[in-house]
Amino acid sequence: MVFLTLPCWIRNRGPDRYWKVQELLKNARHFRGRKNRCYSLAVRAVRRAFVYASKARKAKRRNMRMLWISRIAAASREHGMKYPVLIYNLVKSSVQVNRRILSDLAITEPRTFQALATLAQARREEGLRAALGDDREPPGVFSRIPQLQ
Amino acid sequence: MSSFSRSAQQWATFGRSWYLIDARMQPPGKIAVMCSVRLQGKHKPIYHALSDIGDHVVVMNTRHIVFSGNKWEQKVYSSHSGYPGGFKQLTAVQMHQKDPTAIVKLAVYGMLPKNLHRRTMMQRLHLFTDDVLPDDVLRNLTEQLPQPRVIPRKLSEYTQEECDAFPRLWTTPEDYRME
Amino acid sequence: MTARGTPSRFLQSVLQNGVGRYVCQLKRVSIIFSKNAQSSLGVREFLEDGVVDFAKKNQGIVVYVSPQSCRIPKVVAEYLNGNVKEELVTNKTAQQIAELITKMSNQSGLDIIRIRKPFHTNSPSIQGQWHPFTNRLPSKDPVGPQAE
Repeated sequence: MVFLTLPCWIRNRGPDRYWKVQELLKNARHFRGRKNRCYSLAVRAVRRAFVYASKARKAKRRNMRMLWISRIAAASREHGMKYPVLIYNLVKSSVQVNRRILSDLAITEPRTFQALATLAQARREEGLRAALGDDREPPGVFSRIPQLQ
Repeated sequence: MSSFSRSAQQWATFGRSWYLIDARMQPPGKIAVMCSVRLQGKHKPIYHALSDIGDHVVVMNTRHIVFSGNKWEQKVYSSHSGYPGGFKQLTAVQMHQKDPTAIVKLAVYGMLPKNLHRRTMMQRLHLFTDDVLPDDVLRNLTEQLPQPRVIPRKLSEYTQEECDAFPRLWTTPEDYRME
Repeated sequence: MTARGTPSRFLQSVLQNGVGRYVCQLKRVSIIFSKNAQSSLGVREFLEDGVVDFAKKNQGIVVYVSPQSCRIPKVVAEYLNGNVKEELVTNKTAQQIAELITKMSNQSGLDIIRIRKPFHTNSPSIQGQWHPFTNRLPSKDPVGPQAE
């Protein structure tokens, strides 16, 4: 007899059905009620749980992005800007920071986020400034990519 | 960082602040938008739907809200008690006469998410019919929010200098007869 | 696999091991094999070739070699945090066993379970976390209808 792994070696004792049940109940031990110990109830619940888990892997990405966006929206409104304005102008200034990092910055490093918001604001007003004849940018902000001649 | 020095930071981050909104001459829908955002905590970058981080909102002067159009007569608040013949309909005027805070309250209630947190959030909304607030509320207030609508002034509230300085398209001739 | 049904932890290392100095977390290896069984052939070859080199190279690791009459040769690794890991090396070649032991000596001994995020920090904020007064102008004026 050859056993490649320890679980396989343990499984050579006892009937197969017992091990089959244990394999399944392993996934149901944290369920509520008789589902966590009765096979016939657990098998359905585990199947359902796996279906939910498969769907949730996709839904999680969507939900997290929604959460980041609402957080960034809250943070950008504190700096007097709406969310689309902030994102649009950050893209225009080629700031390649994704929404997850932006929302993390807004929570843990608020001054960095403030700097990004200032940058977006400067980029936003750039056209108006040029039209008014004041082509310079506010001190401390580079909202344009320097063109190397 | 030890957890002791971080706990104070935690309290600061999740502390609740109290906002004051003056509803004088404001549409209740606009007031309710501001309220519902702050009651849910959607104005904070730490927002999460389940973390219960909404702030307190105090609305004063709910007696002096305004509606545009003919909403005072035409807007109908319906309710049903569940018993036969328990269907009640009140126009906005009747509702306002019955309870001057009801219109703002219902507007906010309708704008909050329809889940089990809704009642908890509503408990953080404090409505006052006039601008007399109790002391324990006044002590907590941290910020007064700007009103969403600019209150128009009556002609009688303008001074004579302002009336004279108002730009005119044309000047009436001396012998012009007003009907 | 469901997220709640499987154990998980955050990314961590033992006492910031490797930042500054490195302490090998493996403290003891026992190689259990049979002197004459066919399945222990690779282990016996490894004992002839590589085990002395391994022990010399890693002086912090105690290597036990115990011949027993067993069909299934094993490598039992004990870590500083008390975890014991057992690997079966039936019909493995000397090369494979050497790789296995090197891998074990590089591991931290923490349970191999799902890691929730591929990044972790103990001090998430340098500038100080956001709080309601971060972006608000300081003022001492009383707020309310009486203030006007």
